[in-house]
Amino acid sequence: MRRVAQTRVVESDVCIIGAGISAAMVAERLAERTQASIAVVEAGRRTAGLAERARTRDRMLAYGENPYPGDHVAGQIGTGAMYNSMAVGGAAMHWGGAVPRYSPEDFRVRSLYGVGFDWPIAFDDLEPYYQEAEERMGVAGEQGPPEYDPRSKPYPMPPLPLSYNLRRMREWTDAAGIPFWTQPWARNTEPYQGRNVCQRCDSCYVCPTGAKYTPDFAFDRLLADGRVDLVPQTLVRRLVLNADSDRIESAQAVRTDSPEETVEIRAGTFVIACGHAWSAHLLLNSAGGRFPTGLANRTGNVGRYMTGHWFASGFIELPMQLFPGIFVNNSLLSHRFASPGPLDRYLRHDLRLWESDVGRAPRLRGDDRRTLWGDEIVSDWRARTQAATARIRAYYDVIPDRESRLTLDPSRTNSLGDPMPRLGFRAAQATLDLERHTHDAIESRFRELARSGGGKVMRTQRSQLFEHPGGGCRMGDDPATSVVDRWSRAHDHENLFVVGAPTIVSSGCANGTLTFCALSLMAAEEIGRGLR
Amino acid sequence: MSGGVAGSRRAFLKRSAAVVATASAGACGRRGEGEGEGATAQVVLPGETLRAVGKAVLPGELGADGTERAVAAFERWAADLEPVAELRHSYLVPGVRYSGPDPRPGWAAQLQGLETECMKRHGTSLAEAEIGQRREMLAGRVQEARGDFGPPAEAGHVAVALMAHFYRSAVARDLCYRRAIGQEQCRGLAGAGDEPAALAGAAA
Ligand SMILES: Cc1cc2nc3c(=O)[nH]c(=O)nc-3n(C[C@H](O)[C@H](O)[C@H](O)COP(=O)(O)OP(=O)(O)OC[C@H]3O[C@@H](n4cnc5c(N)ncnc54)[C@H](O)[C@@H]3O)c2cc1C
Repeated sequence: MRRVAQTRVVESDVCIIGAGISAAMVAERLAERTQASIAVVEAGRRTAGLAERARTRDRMLAYGENPYPGDHVAGQIGTGAMYNSMAVGGAAMHWGGAVPRYSPEDFRVRSLYGVGFDWPIAFDDLEPYYQEAEERMGVAGEQGPPEYDPRSKPYPMPPLPLSYNLRRMREWTDAAGIPFWTQPWARNTEPYQGRNVCQRCDSCYVCPTGAKYTPDFAFDRLLADGRVDLVPQTLVRRLVLNADSDRIESAQAVRTDSPEETVEIRAGTFVIACGHAWSAHLLLNSAGGRFPTGLANRTGNVGRYMTGHWFASGFIELPMQLFPGIFVNNSLLSHRFASPGPLDRYLRHDLRLWESDVGRAPRLRGDDRRTLWGDEIVSDWRARTQAATARIRAYYDVIPDRESRLTLDPSRTNSLGDPMPRLGFRAAQATLDLERHTHDAIESRFRELARSGGGKVMRTQRSQLFEHPGGGCRMGDDPATSVVDRWSRAHDHENLFVVGAPTIVSSGCANGTLTFCALSLMAAEEIGRGLR
Repeated sequence: MSGGVAGSRRAFLKRSAAVVATASAGACGRRGEGEGEGATAQVVLPGETLRAVGKAVLPGELGADGTERAVAAFERWAADLEPVAELRHSYLVPGVRYSGPDPRPGWAAQLQGLETECMKRHGTSLAEAEIGQRREMLAGRVQEARGDFGPPAEAGHVAVALMAHFYRSAVARDLCYRRAIGQEQCRGLAGAGDEPAALAGAAA
């Protein structure tokens, strides 16, 4: 039997496209502070709810299975560094919940150091939104030295406790004269918003207790209060302009579970919250008429200046006995070198330390390659646990190139024929020129730190994966070099906002999601002003 | 869109796994009850041979009860294993990953093969052979295995799968350190800062 094509129409004051963490921030704020009707349109479906997570956690630990099965949309696969997770909650269902702030210097590297780009906003402009994001998620943190960890109010919750392993490591770093403090986490150390306290399950990729913040909690609350209309399994294919102006009139979508069913979403304000890859993709895919190269793309900046940070990491052997496994998912953090003061040559990075069992794990063959059996394996293992391993990593600032770019790939289409994104990240020449200096300096810092504890660097690694990616719709005061303004409003469309990761100017030297959330809240403030 | 390319590849792999499992089931196991069309046939690993392998490869320090518990835990794990399951996403790598086809028919055949060889070489069952004889027979078979015990389901040989399963457990780590570390056990935050307590009866 032939099925008849149907179109469902959804009407609301605000349409948020995507239901990840940035969307959750915007939806919550607007729901609390305005009377506006809000539709949240998400390509993926709802995945394992809290009640299922103890079971899916067990299977993840036992078999490596995805604890959120089916959290993707078949055929929506691009090329380059992007997340697979397309579901209510987005990639933050899986996240670890490490939520450092960027450093004040991150927003002013051109003025301070003559490299990269200044943001249109300063740290102080974002600070209240950082605090708000921390309160919405529930962040447990330790105040670091104020010169490296500026904040106007305390963290919402006390920090996660340092494990025995981290306490011993902190004695070492204190003696070395480098200030480290506890990594802030979006994980509860007290009951918070009806959610449980962290139970130290050490499987944060999926948290069986609900102590880790995931955006589905926010959506559940908003749904229970009747404050949002959540439209899952609905992929927005393009935005449509008003015939007489540059305002967005509707979003055209299809059901991902029955593609013959189309959905039209009409709203006064549209918010693209599709993350670092799909946001620019949607704008480019919406090309037509007065915007032949894509919406919001009059100056050709959509998809450009894609950014993320690189890192150097290493393993340090320390002459002490530690007990790996006490609390793998807590760590020590230092922003000492992200706020370095005056510099001869640009070098900014964070430092992070974890317990590790590298070099101290059981093995089937000894150093002489002979197979070990039974008690021999335990003896060999035990002998290697008399010393300890610390894992160290430094995220450093990478300056994005204008050609660091997301484009549409006509050779790769989904079943609807829409081209998929191709993400070609590229560092600017300034970063490439500094690369050797950066690595030498960081690795020599690792060695100094190791020496000060009587240890040695076992090995180092470098990664050029653009972590915590963002960009593609960067913010700026000048439309010639940016896509959205400081409030995340598209320069070209007064009723269109792009929020979170795509709007960042650079990735700094810290995990990015808290910053994406703070920027989304700042955008929500502006969106709310137009609605009241 | 839900029946995209990835979906059909998965269905194919599942069907292949079922065929392999069914083909081997006659020789080394039995089909599970009530399975539907396309479901993977359940292969049960021969328990006595598996236990004989366990005694040869797991640490004697575990004692007879501990070894039995480790083998039984592996059996439960193997019984619940789902071939071609959707795996955790790789970080910032696009594309959904699935686990491989069912390793159990192969493992069952390996155990069967060990029994047959043991009978031919030593005239006894594996359980009656000396530990040294069992290890000698296993040595060649585990030569290709990763030295660091990767995921047990990816182990080419059942003896390595058994060891990998055990050495990833909280029991193994506590045994090695002779401390109650309790990795991944949802232990609460209290006590995290303390040196883990010595295991009762453990020599320091
Ligand atoms: C394993 C892992 C660990 C991580 N750990 C950390 C950490 O500790 N700290 C940290 O800061 N960050 C971490 N991250 C990164 C963090 O998860 C992301 O930065 C964050 O979730 C991005 O949120 P977002 O809202 O920008 O985008 P997303 O989470 O990608 O959400 C976008 C949503 O939009 C939907 N969408 C896209 N296109 C469309 C469309 N056309 N129509 C409808 N819907 C659409 C998608 O389906 C998706 O659900 C981690 C990520 C992973 C995978």
